Amino acid sequence: MITVEGSVQRSGMGAGTWALVTRDGTSYEIHPGAPKDLLQPGARVRVKGEVREDVMTIAMIGPVLEVKSFELLE
Amino acid sequence: MRRLLLVGLFLVGLIWALMSYPGLANRGEYQSIVLDFREDLTDAQIESELSTIAQQYGVIPRPNSIFSKTDHVYILDGNSQLLKTLRQSDLKDYTESIDANYIYQAFAVPNDPGYVKQWNLKSISVETAWDQTKGIGVTVAVIDTGVSQVPDLKKTKFVAGYDFVNDKKDASDDNGHGTHVAGTIAQSTNNNYGVAGIAYEASLMPLKVLSASGGGTIVDIAEAIRFAADKGADVINMSLGGGGDTAILREAIDYAHSKGVVIVAAAGNANTNAASYPARYPTVIAVSATDSSGLKAPYSNFGAGVDISAPGGSKVNGDAGGILQETIDPESGSAFASFQGTSMAAPHVAGVAALIKSVGVKDPDAVAEILKRSAHAIPDDTLNHFGAGLLNAGEAVKLAQRENLDVKDFLRWLRDNGYFNLKFWFDGGVVALLPKIAMVLGSYLLAWFLRGYLPLASLSLGSGLVLGSSGLFFLRGFYIFDLPQFPFRVLGSSIAELGGAIQGSALLNPIFASVLIPFCLVAFLLGHAQWKWFAIGSTLGVASCLAVSAAIDPGMAWLGTGMAARIFLVINTLLCLGLGYLAAKAAHSGTRTEVL
Repeated sequence: MITVEGSVQRSGMGAGTWALVTRDGTSYEIHPGAPKDLLQPGARVRVKGEVREDVMTIAMIGPVLEVKSFELLE
Repeated sequence: MRRLLLVGLFLVGLIWALMSYPGLANRGEYQSIVLDFREDLTDAQIESELSTIAQQYGVIPRPNSIFSKTDHVYILDGNSQLLKTLRQSDLKDYTESIDANYIYQAFAVPNDPGYVKQWNLKSISVETAWDQTKGIGVTVAVIDTGVSQVPDLKKTKFVAGYDFVNDKKDASDDNGHGTHVAGTIAQSTNNNYGVAGIAYEASLMPLKVLSASGGGTIVDIAEAIRFAADKGADVINMSLGGGGDTAILREAIDYAHSKGVVIVAAAGNANTNAASYPARYPTVIAVSATDSSGLKAPYSNFGAGVDISAPGGSKVNGDAGGILQETIDPESGSAFASFQGTSMAAPHVAGVAALIKSVGVKDPDAVAEILKRSAHAIPDDTLNHFGAGLLNAGEAVKLAQRENLDVKDFLRWLRDNGYFNLKFWFDGGVVALLPKIAMVLGSYLLAWFLRGYLPLASLSLGSGLVLGSSGLFFLRGFYIFDLPQFPFRVLGSSIAELGGAIQGSALLNPIFASVLIPFCLVAFLLGHAQWKWFAIGSTLGVASCLAVSAAIDPGMAWLGTGMAARIFLVINTLLCLGLGYLAAKAAHSGTRTEVL
């Protein structure tokens, strides 16, 4: 389980996907099934989740993060 | 006698080569004949000749255009028989030439109306390749979100695939990605509809491993790879990535490779310094993406593991910069859509791999070698944005036809024995070897000229000479996956090259590539018994490095690549030489004093 802080963004790769981008520019691909409230473009969030080493995607924007819980910042 | 035999053999070979040369005369097509009358004939004479022809042969010569009359050029309908007859008639006395009016054809430009928007296909010179092959007899497996037979895939051949997500035979697409990728490989072409694909006479094998959301598990992917290998696929395209190294996927890839399948995968879209899995596996061709101007696309991964680059497009300035193919659309069923990504770059390489296979090259390592050797190399690619270079379909097919290349056993040995394994990666293209050797030799030559003052066997002098001239240049192309590469670039750079090493610029920085650092080294170290030799060595090394750069490639930051840079380098070379000479003399007399 890891904790990642960053902003939620819509990525234009493939047919489109959700990304979590940290302050240092690392991006995670948010695994499908994440709560709707999290998926707001520009939202600053702290996410607890697991990196899915067994999943590959068409977007390929970074590690696939399966969200377990999250909190909105500020 | 022996010489005569050799001459005879040579002549036979020459004649055979001339006869088998497929010249224009042998294969050109024409339906008309050109008559070029002599310039000194009057209009009346020409008119009388023309009416004679009309009477004798029943064809009416006509001027080719409004300009033809003054040039005395006429054409008439006719075939090779008439051409022969005319050439043997009296007409030859009145003409400068009687020739077949050959029909010149541009390269096979397809009639698909959307082809003009496919900048990506033109940029890989696919038309030249189409002259030779369109991929007939080859099967390409598309391991993706599935493939739906949209109208512009109706004329494309399909073989049975499988849907590993829902465990069924129909591997239709419910995302749009796989159909788009399949379009780049083999969109129905020359069908007066839509857009073109690269290997449009090849067959597609649709294998669905990714769900509608665009993700899937490595277990499904590994099974799909084995399915493709067992069912006769020649090429596998995987426009997908992520996760880590797993035995199940690695073994599936090795299995397919051992069965002769060329495996191509996208390098990934995280703009990071390593290809993602599965592209990273040594037997997989990892493809980075370029935009319409041939630069690295902003999202594309680069560096460790990237083998070659191909158009992936960039939609930063709108849809025209993306890759256009037909794919599924929730509302109208199908639509032409512009996508971007290394996902789009990989199928370009898979398509060209299919073309290579269709002209008879079977070994996957040989196909990879042809792809890399025929690629348009990008100079000064210090960060390995492009691998071997930009994909070139025309050159690849030409190279594939020349001979059946076998990969050098040495390369295979290296890869199998772990140099190209999953920890390290080596970019052989990054170091221009000859200038480096010239720099080291040059610095030793300078030291030899000053041998009266220098202890040539000294270790500190030697290390100064190497660090000043070339650095440990073999380290420059060395990568450890997922670690920053700049420490190796810095270690692999000489003192003069340090300025650009961290950013990975191939340009020399005038602060570093000057007499400045040698001067500081000499100033600080000349008093030290051992380090002074290092200072002098590096001064001579820098002199050699700057001299070679001035001669071969005077590219400098701020000063450009022209005369200004060259003059700057020559002046600093001379300053370094002078400094080295004075310092060597001073150090020598200093040593003597100590000894005395």
